[in-house]
Amino acid sequence: MISTDPWVWVSALMTICSFSLLYGENPLFRFGEYTYTAIVVAHSVVTGISTLQSRFAPLISGAKPLLIIPLILGLMSIFVVWRRYAWIASFPIAIMIGVGTGLSMRALIATEILSNIAAVIREAGLILVGPPVNSLGYLIRVVFTISGLFYLLFTVGHKGPLNKPLSYLREIGKYAFLSYLGLSVGNAIMQHSGLATSAISRLLGQWLGL
Amino acid sequence: MKIPELSSRTIWAVVMIVYIVTCTIPIGASFEMSDITIEIYEFIDDLPEGSVVFIGGSAVFAFDLESSASLIACLKQMERKNLRIVCAPFGVEAVQFHKYCIDASGVMESRGGTWVYGVDYVQLPYMPGGAAAYVALMDDIHTAVATDVAGTPLNDLPLMQEVLNHEDIDAWICPHWAFDMIVRYVVAERDIPGIYFAQAAAYANYVPYMMAYPGMVWMTNGFLGGAQYEKLEGVPGLGTAVVDSYAIMSVVYVGFIILGNITMYQNRDEEEEIIQ
Repeated sequence: MISTDPWVWVSALMTICSFSLLYGENPLFRFGEYTYTAIVVAHSVVTGISTLQSRFAPLISGAKPLLIIPLILGLMSIFVVWRRYAWIASFPIAIMIGVGTGLSMRALIATEILSNIAAVIREAGLILVGPPVNSLGYLIRVVFTISGLFYLLFTVGHKGPLNKPLSYLREIGKYAFLSYLGLSVGNAIMQHSGLATSAISRLLGQWLGL
Repeated sequence: MKIPELSSRTIWAVVMIVYIVTCTIPIGASFEMSDITIEIYEFIDDLPEGSVVFIGGSAVFAFDLESSASLIACLKQMERKNLRIVCAPFGVEAVQFHKYCIDASGVMESRGGTWVYGVDYVQLPYMPGGAAAYVALMDDIHTAVATDVAGTPLNDLPLMQEVLNHEDIDAWICPHWAFDMIVRYVVAERDIPGIYFAQAAAYANYVPYMMAYPGMVWMTNGFLGGAQYEKLEGVPGLGTAVVDSYAIMSVVYVGFIILGNITMYQNRDEEEEIIQ
């Protein structure tokens, strides 16, 4: 039975508008695109305003007087839209970048660099242990990691006696990146295919009641 | 015989018909169970009753819908195990996504479940600030955010009276895109196990974290991971439906790739003849 819920109808209409792009550029798609963009912007603005209200409530009630600092910094950042006074906005932006970089660098070194180096060393030690399938997996990961790094670090060919072996390693690194790209593209297709299925399933199930 | 070139409209029409067929006539395609999904399931199952699980991260609803398959099944499991959850949105669309999953899982008393708001489940409001917000929340939850999404002070909610900082969090589930933030500020800095119900497109980016933090970080992969989790929990849903579509669509895509290659070689031969 076809749904009588008006929101299901709105959802169905927007889904059809989106899918209509497959036929080509058309007014239906434009309508869907603009509506979606407007809703996202409106939603972000409303969420932003309500967040500001709730965050600065303790300042108004006097519970957290130090909140005056982020409030002033926030107001200063608005000046970015006036060319003449844009320099005022550079202070809060600099603080934001400084805090962000400081926090990220602290964590980045541990999670992206040290932990990955430790993982490669740990997995290199496991290559000769355990079932052959696992060993092969560890071997591929270790070789791909090292060769991938070589590909990035020695993109320009090395001159000298090690030129030949290094070029082989670099070549393997290139294939490591291609494998990664292949995996990424495959996964992205899976994602979009799945999302399309969920949208069509919603149309058929919720809207048309099939 | 020359294969005619297909216009993109024809291809999309065929694809659309196949999608509609797969959605209306489920074939019950089989799929392999992942050891990692089983590990996640067993980890959640082994959490003591009353454990607090945070669900959160940055969010884009359209993409996160893929993670909803795993999350909805996991929510049902957590309700069955009497766990408690706090949803922590770091993206503006995350609040809606959390509500969608909670509603769809039917875990709340109002929808036939057993969870009571404020006792078993709390929804925090959107928390801007990126990395700084994560660090602040881990340090002191009540300072980082004073109220829930409806404006109720956290101290008035029984669950939040017991959840003060990172020491009170037993696990973190991320059904959103930016899992790297969770790994950095939750797993690595606070030793809280992290589970990522990854979108398929994000899986390859974040999978090294599982090697870097074995036994602390686990990931499922897209709708397939969702189907695996649904099977483990015995609640077929969106993931199971999509796996059916994957099975048939893969055949169609392979068919189009073969046709495309044949057409390309035909055209290349013709162009070579013209040149000669």
